[in-house]
Amino acid sequence: MTAVLRAEGLSKRFGGLKANDNVTLSLEKGQILGLIGPNGAGKSTCFAVLAGSIPPTSGRVFLGDQEITGKPAFRVARAGVVRTHQIVRPFANLTVMENCTVAAAECSGRDDAGSRELAREMLRFVGLEKRRNDYPAGLTLAHRKKLEMARALSCAPKALLLDEVIAGVNPVEAREMVALIRRIRDEKGISILMIEHVMAAVMSVCEHVVVLDAGKLIAAGAPKEVVQNAAVIEAYLGKKHA
Amino acid sequence: MKRILPAWVRPRALIAVAVAAAILAVLPFIHGNRYWHNQLTETLLAIATALAWNWLGGYLGQVSFGHAAMFGVGGFVAARLQIAVGVPMIAAWIGAGVIAGLYALVWGHPTLRLRGPYFSIATIGVGEATRLICTYWVWLTGGSSGMSLPVQVQLKYQLYWYALALALIALAASYALRRSPLGLALLAIKSDVDAAGDVGVSSVRLQDLVLFLSGMTMGICGGFYASYYSFIEPGDMFGFARSISFVLMGVIGGIGTIAGPAIGAVIFVLLRNSLIASYPQLYLGLYGLLLIFVILFEPLGLTGLYMRVLRRARPDLGVTGIAAPESAAPAIGVTPPVEQREAK
Amino acid sequence: MGQVTDLAVSAILLAGLYATMAYGLGLIYGVLRIVNLNHGGMIMAGAYAGWWLHAQFGIDPYLSLIPVSALAFVVGVVIYRLLVRRLPRGAAGGVQSLLLLFGVWLVLRNAAYLLFSGNDQTIRTSYSTRAVSLAGAFLSVNRLAVFALALLVLLALHLLLTRTYLGKAIRAVAQNPDSCTLVGVPVERIYALTFGLGTALAALAGLLAATLFSFNPDFGATELLKSFVVVVLGGLGSVAGTAVAALILAAVEVFAILALPAYLTAAVGFVLLVLVLVIRPGGLFGQRVLG
Repeated sequence: MTAVLRAEGLSKRFGGLKANDNVTLSLEKGQILGLIGPNGAGKSTCFAVLAGSIPPTSGRVFLGDQEITGKPAFRVARAGVVRTHQIVRPFANLTVMENCTVAAAECSGRDDAGSRELAREMLRFVGLEKRRNDYPAGLTLAHRKKLEMARALSCAPKALLLDEVIAGVNPVEAREMVALIRRIRDEKGISILMIEHVMAAVMSVCEHVVVLDAGKLIAAGAPKEVVQNAAVIEAYLGKKHA
Repeated sequence: MKRILPAWVRPRALIAVAVAAAILAVLPFIHGNRYWHNQLTETLLAIATALAWNWLGGYLGQVSFGHAAMFGVGGFVAARLQIAVGVPMIAAWIGAGVIAGLYALVWGHPTLRLRGPYFSIATIGVGEATRLICTYWVWLTGGSSGMSLPVQVQLKYQLYWYALALALIALAASYALRRSPLGLALLAIKSDVDAAGDVGVSSVRLQDLVLFLSGMTMGICGGFYASYYSFIEPGDMFGFARSISFVLMGVIGGIGTIAGPAIGAVIFVLLRNSLIASYPQLYLGLYGLLLIFVILFEPLGLTGLYMRVLRRARPDLGVTGIAAPESAAPAIGVTPPVEQREAK
Repeated sequence: MGQVTDLAVSAILLAGLYATMAYGLGLIYGVLRIVNLNHGGMIMAGAYAGWWLHAQFGIDPYLSLIPVSALAFVVGVVIYRLLVRRLPRGAAGGVQSLLLLFGVWLVLRNAAYLLFSGNDQTIRTSYSTRAVSLAGAFLSVNRLAVFALALLVLLALHLLLTRTYLGKAIRAVAQNPDSCTLVGVPVERIYALTFGLGTALAALAGLLAATLFSFNPDFGATELLKSFVVVVLGGLGSVAGTAVAALILAAVEVFAILALPAYLTAAVGFVLLVLVLVIRPGGLFGQRVLG
């Protein structure tokens, strides 16, 4: 069965630095895949390439059977791969509702009324419906992260790329987020690739995990196995602890 | 019952504009005063130019200090088309407008890669370069001595209604560009052009669209100006002072709002006519002081003032009560405007 | 071949002026993230200040560099404290600071018209027309002096930014103003000083330019544009980058005279800008100015 989202031999150089080196991964339909690794491993770069924000130096990206390598971000989003940002980037001059409406209008192919309906539904899904007429500046961080997710969901994506949505919120909110992520997959059937540093979340919600270090893929497997992998431990903690 | 109008058109706005249009259309027959007639014609043209400028400067947040370039191109091309090729007036305006719009695309498309205020500096260069090149392109502009069109006796009087039509079309376009789903996309681009792309907004294409429309409208207005005065010269058409006037009208009235620039245009024309009369050698400095004053105290100009007053009088309306949803300082998409400290 | 050498030397001499001119703009943008649209106005003001001191009191323009720059520095600090500081920081302030400083420029322009009339002015000293023979080429004394002074200024700037506490503070604020407050760097004061410094550099460059070219109250717009081209090409944060970019601009301009009629050379700067934008928006060195 074709994977929903697949990267083949993805490499990205910035001048002399190889941020991603021959990365191959695939996100299966209905899977929640974790992308972990120490800081500077190239996880966000990988996201950026998958989502079309930057073109890869070499390698290919596939959405199902369709090749999307090097396509600009807006085309990739419309095709069905949408990302959130590590540091949230809501449209400050639009209300919460409008943030989602614009995404729905551009991506989902629905008309005016349909887009607003979809936006509203996604806001309800993440629990922000009551704040829909507020501006992002008036929201807490956790709410802004939810807005970012709702906006991405309003694009009706096939694959959702979540960039550290759990980091930075308190434990109660973190549990909510984890539950939300699971619901996105269970109720909406959206496949999820998530970058995350909060290991507890990764362990509880990801079925499969892929580890990056210094741009290279060093391990892949079920969370419990990967965490005990010597190379992974070395990457995070240094040689002594392996 | 099937709706004739798109869902985003508010009937109240439509009626208000229709009423105003009707009044303005019959006004000349009521006052019968030639001076006021000319004043109104000039004001209506100024309204059209201010609104067109605002699509780029206000809606997209890319302030242009060189829009006179398109105004001038439109004016001279329209004049040439009529003189050299015998094209009828309206067709000449439209043809000139299209060329002006295309010109805007030629310099604007690569320049819009500049984020933030650097685009604005580049537009100063555009204005100046265009002026220089066109001043010496004698075939197009007649050199620094300019060119004349044959005067038609009743034309200047009749052009009032053409100006009214222009202003109304520009106003309708302003409303559509803002209130339609396209308007949300433009605001998203203004806020954060990359994040907009991430949710499916084709930023480049939409920016090009606004560039073209803004340039084309400016060009048509330039053509109108040429027909109205029957004489145009490059220093005036392409001049920095003219480019500044567009900025001022937009800023005074309310940059980024739908109808603000129209109000700004009215104020500006009034000011200019009284200033030129009393202090002809001070007008630049007064414009400068006006800009400083407005930016420091009410960046959204008169519209901002109006919203402030309204909010105090009707606090229940909330921030989203009136006109444009941007009651906070318009956010320009240079860096993500909303940041937070992450507890890692 | 003689002509080419002459032009090359011209370009080098001109580059010194352009580098000094551009640096003020780049400094303010690098530290405050504000585009000083009054840059052109201060260039013009510096030109008139030098001219006036020479016309009224016979002071040699190169000698009046220091008082004029000092005065411009104060003016810059005042503009910052009085006006710029009141604007919201960051993204929202961008367009507003642009318009605000543009307003200041307009006021300065008008003041110049009122005080000095709109006529072209030049600074004519006893040595203006003299030329010096150097390696077979005849170089005007003024061009050499401007180049030498520009080099001095750039060197002084480089030393200021790398060797002094103030310089380090400025660079620190440019990188991360929030962390600076945490370690006790007076960020607001640095902003004010930087704005003053950038303004002083503009006026200084204007004065130097006034000894080479004629000027009127509209002077400064083209110079602003050229400064901008240099900043975009050269990136921020590197005197060397600015210098090379200035050289490229000067060379293109000077050699364009061979191919283009005189009135088009002003448009050259802009065409170069568009080319840079299309081909290499990241500039050649230093910190990228563009996204």
